[in-house]
Order: sequence, then structure tokens, then C-alpha cells
Amino acid sequence: MPISYFQGAMLGLLQGVSELFPVSSLGHSVILPRLVGWHIHQNDKFFITFLVATHLATAIVLLLFFRRDWWRILKGVGRSLRDRGIAPDDADAKLGWLLVVGTIPAGILGLLLQDKLRTVFASAQSAAIFLFLNGFLLYGAELLRRRAPQAAVDDDTRIARRVSWRGAFLIGAAQALALIPGFSRSGATMGGGLLVGLSHKDAARFAFLLATPIIGAAAVLKLPELAGSSGNGVRGPAAVGALCAAVTAYLAVRFLMRFFETNTLTPFAVYCAVAGAACALTFAFS
Amino acid sequence: MRPMDRRRLLVLAAIVAGIALIAIAAIYWAEPARSLPSFFPGHQAGSGHHHVKHGIASFLVGLACFVFAWFNTGKKQTPAA
Repeated sequence: MPISYFQGAMLGLLQGVSELFPVSSLGHSVILPRLVGWHIHQNDKFFITFLVATHLATAIVLLLFFRRDWWRILKGVGRSLRDRGIAPDDADAKLGWLLVVGTIPAGILGLLLQDKLRTVFASAQSAAIFLFLNGFLLYGAELLRRRAPQAAVDDDTRIARRVSWRGAFLIGAAQALALIPGFSRSGATMGGGLLVGLSHKDAARFAFLLATPIIGAAAVLKLPELAGSSGNGVRGPAAVGALCAAVTAYLAVRFLMRFFETNTLTPFAVYCAVAGAACALTFAFS
Repeated sequence: MRPMDRRRLLVLAAIVAGIALIAIAAIYWAEPARSLPSFFPGHQAGSGHHHVKHGIASFLVGLACFVFAWFNTGKKQTPAA
């Protein structure tokens, strides 16, 4: 068996947390096996198949967590299509189309570049260096963020008012950074949200809504691999990993939505810089 | 150019681009990499690989073009963001 149940559980727990925390799940999935001496490489077919299961679990958890929001957003998008326009007071429709505009560049860049970037930046050493840089990216977003006055309206209305179409496109494109192991998808989107004037809580909410279709679609596209021959010997550990990822993803999203009501990205920036530097030095001298 | 003419031109361009992109998506799904026109990204002589992902990307952008045209041919104006 290329991956044991224990390894599957550990990687699943790590994936669920690090996918939503702005600390790069892919980076951690590359670094951890090297740190503990497991013979798991991110370009191994069985590992990619394993990741499909954990990503799918994370996407399902996000979808269920924000299910009421998604239902309102879908109804808003339907209304706008029927009326051939977005009513000025229809925040759900505006948010829905902002998510579409943000998903298009991320989806296209992901579809076209994912395999190439994975091959080029496959080593744990490069993931550690990019994790270090991710810390600076998060801290930079904190330094440069716009402190816009927060109106006392609901979350979705605030996001719909603050984020422009161009802003949504750029935030979506920034997600492509996460194709490089070490850079965080949620970090890039939260950072982008802060730069366009969202509060930490709203930036996190927008990042999680934006992440759901991308993570889900990436997993669904690769599902045939899990069902096919490359899933042989991996399905059991992948199921355990997916279950573990689902539990930690749920706890992570609950925690982060409260955490960002009063806190910033700085603790994650410090963690990424310190952990990235420590791992890079460890790998360089080992 | 008057704003109305400009808008119509944009809609027309979006529809043409949408049709072209969905046709390109169909080519990506139907033809192996060796049979793709040489100016297509992903063309590779002798390869039997189907670039399904390129097709999906092309299809989605084509769909986005149609949505843009749909909104811009409605009676109501989409408010500026």
C-alpha cells in the first residue's frame, strides 16, 4: 500500500486545517512527508489521487457551512439572469457575479498551469522557501490594507459594495499563486480582500466563498482518477483522510470566522516566515 | 462613436467570441493533441492526448462572453460596481 491509514489520517487532518488557514495546504503536504521521512512525493500519482479525496471533503464542508448563503446567492444570480441586470439593492446577485468573475481567472489559470507548476516546484526545499515568502505576502497585505469605514449592514451587502468587478477578477487571479506549493490560496484571497477595503472578517468570508467552487471543481475533475486504476490501494486511506480533512476543515472555518472578527493575518504571517525559514534551513543542511 | 453603437458592437463582439470559444472547446474535446491546429496551445506532433482541461477553460470563457452579451441586451442597466 503506497500510503498507510495512519499517514492518510495525519495528512487529512493537516489538509483540512491548512486548506482554510492562510498557510498553504499544498506546501504543508509537501513539507510534512519530507520532515518525518515518509516516501510520499507530491507528484506521485497515488498522492494526487489522495488529495482529490481530501479536497472534495473540504469543498463539501465549505458548501454545507455556507449553505444558506449559497442558496441566497444562487437565487440572486437567477434573479439577475431573469431580469438581465443586477438590481442596485440586490447584494446576493452582485456577490454571486463577483464570485463568478473571481472564479474565472483562478479556474483558467489552474486548468492551464497546475500540472506544469507542480512539476517545476515539486521539492520540499522550494515549498519551504515559498512558505517563507507567503509570510511576507500576508504581512504586506496587512501593511497595505485599506481601512474603509464599515457600514452597519449585513456581511454580503458590505462585500458587494466594497468589491468592484476588477477587484474580484484580480483577487481571483491571485488565487493562482496557490498553484505553487508554499503560497496559500486563502492567504492570497484574504490579502486581496484587505487591499480592496474589506474587513478581516469579510475578506475571510469572501475567500471561503470563492474557494468553494474552485476546490470542488478541481476535485470533481480528478474524481475519475480516484475511481480508476490510480486509485487502487489508495481508496481506503483516502476515505480516512477525507473524513479527517472534513472534521478539521469544519473546525477551521468555524474558528477562522470568529478569529477574523477581531484579529489579523499577522500571526499567520509570522508562522509562515518562521516555519518556512526553519524548514528551508533544515532541508539545506540535511 | 455613440454609446449605444459602442454597446451594440461590444455585444456583437461578445457573441462572436462566445461562439468561437465554444467551437474551440469542442475541437479540444474531439481532437487529440497531434490533430490540433499548430497555433493552438497544447498542439503536440504525435501525441494522442486529449486536452480536456483546455476545452473546459475555453468553454467557460465562451459562456462568460454569452452572459456578458445577455446582460448588455437587457432593458435594465447593470449598475456600475
